[in-house]
Amino acid sequence: MASQIKYESFISRHETKTLIGPALIYLGLFSIFPLLYSLAISFYEFDRVAGKWNFLGLGNYREILTDPVFWSSTRITALMVGAALFIEIIFGVGLAIFFGQKLKGSRFVRAILITPMILNPVVVGLMWRALLNPQWGLFNWLIGLIGIDNPPIWLADPKWTIWTLIFVDAWQWTPFIFVVVFARYQALPIDVFESARVDGASPLKLIRYITLPLLSSAIVFAAIFRGIDSFRNFDLIYGLTFGGPGRATTTLSFYSFENGFVYYRYGFSSALSYIMVLLATIGFTVLLKWIPIRRSH
Amino acid sequence: MSAITRTTNRIISYLTLVVIAIVGLSPIVYLFLLSTKRRIDIGDVPPSLKFEWAVIFENYKEVLISRSYISSTLNTIFITSIVVALSLVIGLPAAYVFSRVKFGRSEQLSTTILSLRFMPPVAVAIPILLSMRFLHVSNTRIGLVIPYVAFSLPLVIWILIGFFDEIPKEIDEAAEIDGASKWRTLLQVQIPLIRSGIVVAGIFAAIFIWNEFLIGMYVIDSEALKTVPIADAGLISAQRPIDWNVAATVGVVTLVPLLFVSMAIQKHIVQGITAGAVK
Repeated sequence: MASQIKYESFISRHETKTLIGPALIYLGLFSIFPLLYSLAISFYEFDRVAGKWNFLGLGNYREILTDPVFWSSTRITALMVGAALFIEIIFGVGLAIFFGQKLKGSRFVRAILITPMILNPVVVGLMWRALLNPQWGLFNWLIGLIGIDNPPIWLADPKWTIWTLIFVDAWQWTPFIFVVVFARYQALPIDVFESARVDGASPLKLIRYITLPLLSSAIVFAAIFRGIDSFRNFDLIYGLTFGGPGRATTTLSFYSFENGFVYYRYGFSSALSYIMVLLATIGFTVLLKWIPIRRSH
Repeated sequence: MSAITRTTNRIISYLTLVVIAIVGLSPIVYLFLLSTKRRIDIGDVPPSLKFEWAVIFENYKEVLISRSYISSTLNTIFITSIVVALSLVIGLPAAYVFSRVKFGRSEQLSTTILSLRFMPPVAVAIPILLSMRFLHVSNTRIGLVIPYVAFSLPLVIWILIGFFDEIPKEIDEAAEIDGASKWRTLLQVQIPLIRSGIVVAGIFAAIFIWNEFLIGMYVIDSEALKTVPIADAGLISAQRPIDWNVAATVGVVTLVPLLFVSMAIQKHIVQGITAGAVK
């Protein structure tokens, strides 16, 4: 009994700490610590044969900066994030405005639209490899129906593969932009639209001067979230192209994975991913500057 | 606007709706279709819509029994339950504090937690493997659960903060006047009110696990311990040729559990995305 009273008074004296402590300790141990550990590893080289770690100092970073694959994967990452984001914003916002019409049956179609986002990216890759198969894929058959008879080999022609990847990424993630923007759209006051319509604004003007400005913060928000996620993306590439053909779709994330998991170059891989962490941190700081993340109380 | 243009507009709108539905759904339907074919019939374009039960049975038997996807699925469900439960037990009180109590660095702390959600998984995969080896839990379920909880927590906390923020503070004050501690208020007053938030956060932790294979490939070696996505990554990576009918069946077996979940709780998924991204 006495010990129970003591125990309860400990909890009530340190309420906030006991509530929040477990989460902070857990994240400290298994999130922050691995992140720092990774920084340490990036100064070493793992000798797999001898099972030893050799200190290299900045050696890995120096090697990265002179590695042509690093620069090509940086370019490919930038192209992928930029192009996919551009397409996803255009279609995502378009969809949000389209679904604003509240057509019959649109609820059902919206449910379909949500689905791609939760699908396993490796299976999404498999699915599209089947659809785009040069011999028997349904996609080429379909575009054959509208007269395109000599399509490129989507996943083997280095000129096209990156665009195929961007296309599949857009298929899977346009719904994300849509969901976020549509949520905001539904919360907009209807009378603004009504009065503009009474004033004789055409539908296009309505979208350009009223809808889009009101949606802009939601769009920027969704775009930055999606942008960072797409920057980290490696699983769809694993499922769809495995970085190839050659290096045509090797992004930073995939290059780091390949070095770590396939070649056991733990130090090099960690240094690569640390450069990514730095870039992501910069991106995230920009996000914080741009918009307050939480509504203030 | 004349009646005719209005009708044409309607028709165009509905056609667009149908096209959207087809673009969203047809790749998944195609995967289902491939999983019902013999290997030699994969090359038929367009695929025939004749179904032979014997072939379907053969494909699914191969995947579920011979490639032991039944046990992988059960294993994934088991790991998902533990990770979701742990993340909620640890995350709920923390989210409650972030929503209610202002202390020195609370704002900075909650942003740091959010920023962990953006961490590239490749950046921690190797240290996690080494840490799990150090703790002698690599290639065990515990070795998966520990990092998975760490990945789920930022998401769970962030989603729950959004839901706690929507509960009026007066409720806490009333409980406080009655002499209830914060812990009691959380357990007896808040948790019943925030049930849908708990469901949403749990779903997002579950979706993460059903799609995660990078950390899993590093930590797990034995087939028996692999979750469905880890098994998939070994079987159907873009690097490895495989029989398409079997691969498609693997895909379907992977997708079906989440597809069912997503149909049942579509609304919650939307809530989660908007809560996790916008609030």
